[in-house]
Amino acid sequence: MSNFSVAFRDAGSATILAVCGELDAHTAPELESAIKKCRDEGKSNLIVSGSELDYISSAGLGVFMAFIEEIRTLGGDIKICALKPRIFDVFDLLGFPKIYHIVETEEEALSLFEQGIQPIQGD
Amino acid sequence: MGGVGETAPVSTTILHQAALAVCFLCLWITIARTTQNSRLPPVQIFWRASLTILAALVLVVLILQIPGDFIVENTPAAPIVHVKSTLLSTVLAGLGFILVQRFGQLVRFRRTRRSERNWFLLILFVSLTFTAIAPFHHHFEVESSPFNLPLAGLFVLAAIGSVIFIFLNTVRLAWILRLPVKQKMGALGLGVVVICLTSATLVLLSPAFSLGPFAEQFSPYYYLAFYSLPLASVIILFITFGFVYALTSVLSMIFHLPTIGDYQRSVDEMAAMQTLTVLVREVADPEKLYHWVVSTPVDSGRGKAAWLTIQELDSGSLKPQIVAAHNIEASIADDVCDVNAIHGEAARTRTLVSIQNTSSDRRIQNGKTSGIMSLLAIPLTTRTEVLGTLFVSRDVAHAFENEDIESIGVFASQATLVLENARLLEAQFERERLASELAIAHDVQRRLLPQTIPRVSTLSLAASSTAAQEVGGDYYDLLELGDGKLAFIIADVSGKGTSAAFYMAEMQGIFQGVAQIAPDPHDFLCHVNKALGRSLEKNVFVTAIYGVLDCNSGAISIARAGHPPAAFVDVTGRTTLLRSGGLGIGLDRSDLFAQTLEVKQHVFNPGDLIALYTDGVTESRNPEGEEFGYDRLLQSIQSTRYERAQGVHDAVLQSVDQFLGAEKKYLDDLTVLIIKWHGPEPAAHDAEDDPLL
Repeated sequence: MSNFSVAFRDAGSATILAVCGELDAHTAPELESAIKKCRDEGKSNLIVSGSELDYISSAGLGVFMAFIEEIRTLGGDIKICALKPRIFDVFDLLGFPKIYHIVETEEEALSLFEQGIQPIQGD
Repeated sequence: MGGVGETAPVSTTILHQAALAVCFLCLWITIARTTQNSRLPPVQIFWRASLTILAALVLVVLILQIPGDFIVENTPAAPIVHVKSTLLSTVLAGLGFILVQRFGQLVRFRRTRRSERNWFLLILFVSLTFTAIAPFHHHFEVESSPFNLPLAGLFVLAAIGSVIFIFLNTVRLAWILRLPVKQKMGALGLGVVVICLTSATLVLLSPAFSLGPFAEQFSPYYYLAFYSLPLASVIILFITFGFVYALTSVLSMIFHLPTIGDYQRSVDEMAAMQTLTVLVREVADPEKLYHWVVSTPVDSGRGKAAWLTIQELDSGSLKPQIVAAHNIEASIADDVCDVNAIHGEAARTRTLVSIQNTSSDRRIQNGKTSGIMSLLAIPLTTRTEVLGTLFVSRDVAHAFENEDIESIGVFASQATLVLENARLLEAQFERERLASELAIAHDVQRRLLPQTIPRVSTLSLAASSTAAQEVGGDYYDLLELGDGKLAFIIADVSGKGTSAAFYMAEMQGIFQGVAQIAPDPHDFLCHVNKALGRSLEKNVFVTAIYGVLDCNSGAISIARAGHPPAAFVDVTGRTTLLRSGGLGIGLDRSDLFAQTLEVKQHVFNPGDLIALYTDGVTESRNPEGEEFGYDRLLQSIQSTRYERAQGVHDAVLQSVDQFLGAEKKYLDDLTVLIIKWHGPEPAAHDAEDDPLL
């Protein structure tokens, strides 16, 4: 019944988490455990790529909030990229772009890490 | 009545026998009536039978004392002989009938179709015997008629049939099993008495018999035969039946005596099981049930000690725990046996583990000193899971016979049912308790929402909130601040259900308190972010729109904290979505929230309205997976913009319902708040409409 998946991919200094399908209260734990896994492996430069993300609920948004503080303390960041317009709108309404780097492409996100650009705002 | 002369024709004889048959049938029916009305216990039946035979024998002897006898066979010396033979026949026929009817009750104990058929055939064959020799009055005269030979053959066949069915019926002794030991002994003694008395009667009735001192006297048989040969044969068959039945009963009871103990044990077992079944209806306390499960095999004598292990996954431990033990300390059982391994094997294979000699099994240590020499481990398995394992031990090796194993197995399956029932019952209670708690929570939450909507002459207001589950995370409220100002809020806690409901309640408290002190949207929302920021979990946020409306001027001051944009619709239908800057509450706990929060100012013209809603409206999805979206929302508002707030509100909900289709299943909490400005000079009809919930 779960039509959600996360794929890991290492790209330079960052790890790309390609999310696919619907991220809601039922599937949020999958993304949660994916981020936890990266954190435990010492990977804190994370890029969530949402080109295949069709839906995100408030529980899905909550996953980003749950980890951002910790990841940033570890010196990393969560950057979000390649969102469909409708999904971006959800992030935007909530004010996510004020807290997270949300960019068009994975390359942009990667270059943000490589240029060492600081997270928007340190908690 | 009496013997007819030897020379009487056959037809007269038959007529005479028919009359006799009718008379004795009446006697049979009378006795049947009385015996049927009194169902006696077996011992009583044997007691009455003994008394009846004794009485009959006394009568027979007394009757024989009357002077007058036969000269030769069938030739009476005096008319008194007719009377003697009538009396003897009646007494002995009565005796035969009573014996058959009384023992018949025992034969037909726990009757089956087959036993009823055998009983019927016995009576039939005896009747046939009577009929076959009806033409012969005193003795066979094979030569006197051409029919006599086949009739004699029929008589022999019927007599053989009678004897066969006498034996078939006398092996029905089911009543003995049910008899308590004491009564069994009583029945045994009385049975012996009946055997003696019936055999004495049969000897008395044999043609060769003659009473000692009166050596010249004729045996009672001659009187019976003189009276009616067919009746005599029936009497002899019936008394024979009585004798054989008493004999088989006595033999059977003698053979049963050694097994009485075993039988008693199985009775105890059944009783224990029945108690257990009763128990489950009354006791939902698992401790008591566990105790019963372990004490029953011991109390019924099948085991010396017993204990029960259960793997409680809830406790977090994978090791099965001994939850009850009988006749042994749980800690000793745990020390002696590798409970884990044996439970594991029983649960894995779902079959009984039988260790007949524990000294040769490495899973048991020091079995001898702790009295565990034989051990059975029976998994209590339902169709889907293993509830636990019942251990039964004895202090002797090879102590468990197949029958013990079977019996404990049967008990184990009963116990499984009982435990399973108890478990289901408990789950049911728990569900009901949760449901009632949730119902209470639902009521409490409904009361957190406005019970009435303020009446303001310049406005019309309408609002509603529907939770997807019993409780939800949506909130709206209105508060008159004095000096003609009205504060309003709509908020949505992320997530659904109970946790969201708690934050919703907190939100309500903050609104009712803070809006009075800091009505300005910027101040208010910053306060909220600070207050809620302390209690919200990291991954939970709240979106809200808060505003203050001057009910005199129509000036509105409004701010959005991450919430879906409010829709302004003016009289012309022009729609503006309020997308001012503002983070969701709880997203940021620093100054960023205050820095990014924008407050918009607007002045209403009469006919303008503002629609506030939660994402449950726009994100409602129909069965095809399509979202309701902004367009449908705005369309339903625009098309009803001339109506009062309630009309617009209803139109929005109706539009959502239509979109969702027949199922109308809300996946998320859904809230709508409509505020319509009518201006300071409202039309007359505006006031009469009461925009309640």
